[in-house]
Amino acid sequence: MKQISIDPITRLEGHGKIEIFVNDDGEVENAYFQVPELRGFEKFCEGRPVEELPSIVTKICGVCPGCHHMASGKAVDAVFGADPPPTAKKIRELFYMAHFVHSHIAHFYALAAPDFVVGPTANPAERNILGVISKVGLQIGSEVIKQRRIAQEIQALIGGHQTHVIMNTPGGVKKGITDEQRDDIVTKAEGFVEFSKFSIQLFKDVVLGNKDYVELILNGPYSLVLHSMGLVDGNNKVNFYDGKVRVVDTKGKELYKYGPDQYLDYVEERVEPWTYLKFPYLKKIGWKGFIDGQESGVYHATPLSRLNAADGMATPVAQQEYDFMYKTLGGKPVHATLAMHWARLIELIYSAEHCLELAKDPDITGKDLRAPLGKIVGEGVGIVEAQRGTLTHHYWTDDRGMVRKVNLIVGTTNNHAAICMSIKKAAQGLIKKGTEITEGTLNMIEMAFRAYDPCFSCATHSLPGQMKMLLNIRDHQGNIISSFERK
Amino acid sequence: MATEKILVLGIGNDILTDDGIGPKLVGELRKMDFPADITFKTASVGGLEILEMISGFSRVFLIDAIRTKNGKPGTVYFLPAEDFSETQNLTNLHDVNFLTALELGSKLNFQIPGEIMIIAVEIVEDLEFSEDLSPALKKRYLEILSKVHKFLLEALMYQKSMTPAR
Repeated sequence: MKQISIDPITRLEGHGKIEIFVNDDGEVENAYFQVPELRGFEKFCEGRPVEELPSIVTKICGVCPGCHHMASGKAVDAVFGADPPPTAKKIRELFYMAHFVHSHIAHFYALAAPDFVVGPTANPAERNILGVISKVGLQIGSEVIKQRRIAQEIQALIGGHQTHVIMNTPGGVKKGITDEQRDDIVTKAEGFVEFSKFSIQLFKDVVLGNKDYVELILNGPYSLVLHSMGLVDGNNKVNFYDGKVRVVDTKGKELYKYGPDQYLDYVEERVEPWTYLKFPYLKKIGWKGFIDGQESGVYHATPLSRLNAADGMATPVAQQEYDFMYKTLGGKPVHATLAMHWARLIELIYSAEHCLELAKDPDITGKDLRAPLGKIVGEGVGIVEAQRGTLTHHYWTDDRGMVRKVNLIVGTTNNHAAICMSIKKAAQGLIKKGTEITEGTLNMIEMAFRAYDPCFSCATHSLPGQMKMLLNIRDHQGNIISSFERK
Repeated sequence: MATEKILVLGIGNDILTDDGIGPKLVGELRKMDFPADITFKTASVGGLEILEMISGFSRVFLIDAIRTKNGKPGTVYFLPAEDFSETQNLTNLHDVNFLTALELGSKLNFQIPGEIMIIAVEIVEDLEFSEDLSPALKKRYLEILSKVHKFLLEALMYQKSMTPAR
């Protein structure tokens, strides 16, 4: 058996790598995505007052601090038996929409667009945001930076800091929004709506207007048939901040719908000896291995799975685009991994529209910011949708509210098994006996997991064409018979 | 003579053992004496975030953790951005790397600093949550702080052109 190794060689060297095993016939037999995991967070939290956690968890990761802050805030509410008043919930959600706008803009223009606007096998020196801008124009580049910055300004205004957010307190939020601030946010959110509509039109023009790309999305080596998970509101519409977790099967039929405090009845985590990161799966189906299809216990928790798991979007333009995507791709549910980029743009529109709705809501400038705290119940679960999947925070405390235990299932962890399978499928489609491995081949394998925007504690390199890779083809004795390196 | 706008920016996660060396050093440096007005800031991620933070300054000193093969913990490297070597946090893996961010800034008419110097500290541990540095780095912390302070003092003796170089 030959072995192909793809090793990121900068941050956390030796911990994160992709291993692709090829048999003597040159066919890919298996693929393993090994990632590092930060250690000791639970220990770090133990013995601290639980109300400190929403501010501490923003430091788990600098990329999605707002998501951890929200899930943590909700878990702490539950520990204190407190249900935040409507104004507090809406302020939290307003912040959260800006967080999504910020993140989804960055992902599309910096990570997704280079593969489509510039091309999946284009010169890697050009396959980046600079290449995108040189194709679509400097003005659009400026607008990307501007809208992203504005989204951060809203987060800083409401959250107290753009990264280390401090707004949540048990039972509500620490400060309200003035009329003047509200007016400013309304203007900014109107800009988000226009820019999100522009972005999806760009996607349609560039991607849907190119039959090769449509073919790649629909029939390339990037399809994975799994169950879909996502948070939904009372009308089964996509919701990022609140609601119930809904899981639909590979055909779109509802399997489960449960509240945050029931998650342990539905999700279980598997440990594999070759990686520190766990593999969550649907407990009632059970772990059936790294297989896709209706029998599998593996699920997706991604922008696309959120759309699959819901009956629609709660805002008008996002709903139109939702209908259009499913109509174009042949109906619900969709299992094309690369369609995650499209789903992400529909979510961008929803975030922008809902940001505007919330800013215009009369409750948003209300003064009732905090619910009275109840008796400490000693346990609380908070679930939100993070940009990269369903995010669960579960805390246990003593009767004084001091943390005894913490369990987190972060967005990307939900997708760990799916990412491994996506890589294997892409490798199987792209590497055949005698295949000359090129930088373009590597990028197209990367595309299989870049669609997830994986966030393994910021350890995996997912920049288009910039991941430092060493690819070795080895014989069964481990001798390198050829190698490819991207520096 | 025009006044220079100087930024010292520490990047990293201050609860992730040695990854927080940049922010920790900035916390100490801001209390020390310098013969110039300096803005001290900290950040947790690089990429586009850094681009916006450094825009408008004429001279920028970025302090970050670094790991090199066979590197000795506590070694301090002073790297001009043009001789850039990837450090732990300058690149945001979810948007762009540092050099792309600078190039993007130039194209979009950001005020890119005329001088960007990277001060990188060789670290041991950045996978475990802790507010404390690893023993190896802790042992050399005062020496590291002194080296960085001395470097900044010497660098500030020379006023650089405010004309953006990029």
